[in-house]
Amino acid sequence: MRVSIVQRLAFSVLLPLLALLPTATGRAADLLRVCLIGPGPSPAAFPAGLRAVLEKTPGVACVDFAQLGTAEVALFYRGPGSRPAGEAKAVEEFLHSRSGVVVLGATAEAWSAVPEFVPRTLGAVPGGPWAGGAAMSVINMFPHPIFAGVTRFETTQPMTGYAKLADDAQMILEGTVGEETTPLGWVRRGAAGRLCHLVPAETGVLQDANYQRIVVNAVAWAAGRPVPDAKPAVQRTFMPDSHPGSIALTFPNGPGVCLDPVRGGINYLWDGDFVDLRPRWITKQGAPARIFGDVFYVEKAPQPLRLGAPTAESKFRFRGYGLKDGVPEFHYEIDGRDVYETITAQADGQGIVRTFRVSPGTRTLWMNFEPQPGAEVTTRGLERDGAAGRFAAPGGGEFVVEIRRKAGGAIR
Amino acid sequence: MSTKYFAGVAQASSLLGWLMQAVQPALRGMGFLLCFAALPALAAPAPSARLSGRVLKADSDAPVPRAQVRVEGPTLVGRENSQIIQKLKADGRYQIDVPPGAYDVSVTAPDFEEARARVEVKAGDVVERSYGLTALQRSPYRVETLKLPQQMIGEVSGVAFTPQGSLVVTNRRGDVWIRRSVDGGWRRFATGLYEGFGVVAPDESEILVVQRPEVTRLRDTDGDGVADVYETVADDWGITGSYHEFSYGLARDRAGNVYASSGLCSFGRGVDLPWVRGPLQTAQYMPWTGTGPVPDGHRSVAAFQGWAFQITPAGKWIPYASGFRQPLGVGISPDDELFISDCPGAWIPTSTLTHVEKDAFYGHPDGLKWHPELKDKQLTIAELTALRRPPSIYLPRGLMGTSPGQPVWDRTAGKFGPFGGQVFLGDVSPLLMRVDLEKVAGAWQGAAFPFLRGQGLRLGGMHHAFGPDGALYIAQTVRGWMSTEGNEGLQRIVWNGETPVEIQTLRLSDRGFALRFTTPMAPTAGEVARYQVKRFQYNYHPQDGSLRINQVDVPVTAARLAADGLTVELELLEVQPGYVYEMVVSRDVQNRAGQPLLNTTAYYTLNRLHNGETKPGPTRLVAKAAEPLRPGDATRGAEVYRLNCMVCHQADGKGSPQAGTPDYTMAGGPLTKSDAELIATITNGKLPTPPAVLPMPPWGNVLPPQAIRDVVAYLRQTYEPKPAR
Repeated sequence: MRVSIVQRLAFSVLLPLLALLPTATGRAADLLRVCLIGPGPSPAAFPAGLRAVLEKTPGVACVDFAQLGTAEVALFYRGPGSRPAGEAKAVEEFLHSRSGVVVLGATAEAWSAVPEFVPRTLGAVPGGPWAGGAAMSVINMFPHPIFAGVTRFETTQPMTGYAKLADDAQMILEGTVGEETTPLGWVRRGAAGRLCHLVPAETGVLQDANYQRIVVNAVAWAAGRPVPDAKPAVQRTFMPDSHPGSIALTFPNGPGVCLDPVRGGINYLWDGDFVDLRPRWITKQGAPARIFGDVFYVEKAPQPLRLGAPTAESKFRFRGYGLKDGVPEFHYEIDGRDVYETITAQADGQGIVRTFRVSPGTRTLWMNFEPQPGAEVTTRGLERDGAAGRFAAPGGGEFVVEIRRKAGGAIR
Repeated sequence: MSTKYFAGVAQASSLLGWLMQAVQPALRGMGFLLCFAALPALAAPAPSARLSGRVLKADSDAPVPRAQVRVEGPTLVGRENSQIIQKLKADGRYQIDVPPGAYDVSVTAPDFEEARARVEVKAGDVVERSYGLTALQRSPYRVETLKLPQQMIGEVSGVAFTPQGSLVVTNRRGDVWIRRSVDGGWRRFATGLYEGFGVVAPDESEILVVQRPEVTRLRDTDGDGVADVYETVADDWGITGSYHEFSYGLARDRAGNVYASSGLCSFGRGVDLPWVRGPLQTAQYMPWTGTGPVPDGHRSVAAFQGWAFQITPAGKWIPYASGFRQPLGVGISPDDELFISDCPGAWIPTSTLTHVEKDAFYGHPDGLKWHPELKDKQLTIAELTALRRPPSIYLPRGLMGTSPGQPVWDRTAGKFGPFGGQVFLGDVSPLLMRVDLEKVAGAWQGAAFPFLRGQGLRLGGMHHAFGPDGALYIAQTVRGWMSTEGNEGLQRIVWNGETPVEIQTLRLSDRGFALRFTTPMAPTAGEVARYQVKRFQYNYHPQDGSLRINQVDVPVTAARLAADGLTVELELLEVQPGYVYEMVVSRDVQNRAGQPLLNTTAYYTLNRLHNGETKPGPTRLVAKAAEPLRPGDATRGAEVYRLNCMVCHQADGKGSPQAGTPDYTMAGGPLTKSDAELIATITNGKLPTPPAVLPMPPWGNVLPPQAIRDVVAYLRQTYEPKPAR
């Protein structure tokens, strides 16, 4: 049976996006309203193919410039172009409205109506054609929900080079020619809302189903909605304030978890969905990875899990992890007793649920807790005893520890 | 090889250039504070000379691309490997400022023969010398670059094949990719690892990888081609935050044991003390007794750094052997024996390939602080020397690179040419080496040859694997060590089926060496004059690498070419164990079709003779050289002193507190020693005695014995304290 390109697109790109439809856990039962804006007043200034993809995306409603104020996300192709003062003001107001912004291949000319955008909001400085217009040899997609469901994205088209990435700009896509690299995509999460800029926006990539999927994902991410098929990312690296070889576990809508297999616990949680490993990679001597966002939970005491008594000297061993539908289950040995932990995120990204599966054993398993000014910690299936909790079922079983950020809670 | 010499000596003041050259390695190697501390010592006026010129193609006078000039000499002791390396730009021009002294200059470039020269300079000299390099013969081995998925950063750090023939690679960004044998498609098998650095692939669905913190078993349990289990197999050694404490490997023997190793930490660079896995011990096992900075900062600060490990099929982790510095290449021979290559620095005088046996010690003492029996013993250098097992193969710096990669054995049954059973290993430089091992009196030793130098071979050959197609696949990564222009990744070497004209084997005989060629050679191969043999040793000491010492020509007394032209028996005036033998075959030696050898140099590490003897005995070569020695001539010695010694020992012989040199004029000073003792010190060098800053470099491989006698005579005549009247 032959499958047409349209059918293939529908299966590979559009069907997963059904999840963009309102869900019980998502926001209110309204469509995600996306305003499509090209470099000129005519709707035709926005690429027709991409418009068609978005219009067919379940759960998405595309609106014209006149309805910009009602949109959750503005998707700019290049920029708004030259606009009358009133329209330029509307764009400016939108940029400050805590709504989402996705820009494809920004150019200074296309933002002439809002001249502050490129130097202040975009988050990097364009430097003209990059690498002398040479074809890219490598495109690296860093683990970020925007790339959910995308297994490959390739282009050899020349790109604009960018420099001076803002401190809060998180590079998620990087291009390489020889030893030169340039950011091809980055995101910013701030008080003014979420912004995503994808540098590739040439005709060739606009027709690439993988690129189209990235754009649709970026729209969902910019709106703060779940990105369909987005999975947690598990990366071992050298995290700040943690033993080398720690695990950065980031959830698509946050938070970030620093799990320390040497100390034997979660060193901290932060409000973020991404960890930047480039400081580790790009130089000979390297530096710890970089996290973005407030830290709201911190553990420091050695090894929270003990066998026999809360202060018992129990040998902790990290034994690895398995992935079930992308969700990791970590395996520990406490004095030889197997304990498995699955960490999932709270739907709003403001906390985690730690589910422990304990193998049979006669000695009581203890878990120690530390005061958490930035978070509330609650347990189920664990008998609390002061600053510790006990799990005494000899046949094994499960207990749950829920960590939730307090309103405004931040330690640093 | 041809060398063009454009004589020219001119006066020049180049103090700033020398200072900058001296400071740059400090900046790179010591961190800012140490560098800053070193500046006052360097700020003292120091006489300098300049070596300059161009490196050109011998046949066209055009600059040789990617050439480098390497200068080695005793006055450079204290620098990394006692050398200066300058990589040349497009104009082929070099300019190197050095202290007065004598130097060995080596000029190399991919696709060209090496050129060597000996240069002596006085303060203020500018020696202009250009080198014309001869192009290498084109080899019947083709270098091909493999296209990688565009999503894969090409820092390829490991390569292996599954039994089904699929290609598996790791990269330093933490991915494992598989190119399936069935359809040639690439798939990312695993991601999120912390610097994968080697891989073995027992199966398409089970792959073992060493990442910095552990050895991990990756398993695909649901058959979707992607790992869903990341099982920690072993993580029992220590790690810190230092960038330079790589975990190396992997190799697997027939019993299923897996072998890995841990490099020493580059101490002082990124060691984040609160975050160390396991105990931390920053003090050296054998403390550096000099007052200056430790010559080589590589140290075993966390548990079992500098060790090789064995991991049993049951998952038991066993510290297997110690004494390594950067044991980068871990390989298993066809006889199921473990071999490891190591990189030069303190205690490891040059690159090595070593047959590793359980519980043995291979030279770098710092890892002994984790040895269950030796950790508190405070062994002396003499005791360490006795404990140390020598490497099976020394890979002399220069022609044999600087940091060797993983050894792999040609088991292709002839698909890779006539070198079945031999070892191939790459290097951080664009070089592929070949090693012919033989077991002599129960221990492995043998000969190392350059194999490919150029033809598009890239930098950073760290791991290798022979593929089912008989090609040698090379994983290449050099992050930060040198500029790659993005040219790292994965290459393969393919044999085109033509017989290469090479020395196939170089084996020890009772009276010399037996060479076997890959093709029948013309009668010139049976002429004594076509072979030049030297032998030399290396120091075993805490300084950063070693120059060749006790180097001497070994006369070839007979050469007998077999009737079939395939083998030649060489007899040497003397065959002694405990030396590396360098053999250079004249380019006039050709096969019967008139083709010259592709590679004319070999290095045989002669640890033991067939009778098991490992200690050199009395030597006729030294005796022959010593025979004509005259009594020391103080007048000649004055010039030797001025050229070589005065920079540290000063014109008045009173020495320099800054350089830590003694006062010859004081009563009870060095000149109270006998001539024999003084000659021995000058010949072999001496570690600094506090508060000395620098070691006395060994001059035995720089100055002829007569010159050393002359300089002792000069010291006696000029500085010896006269008895009080």
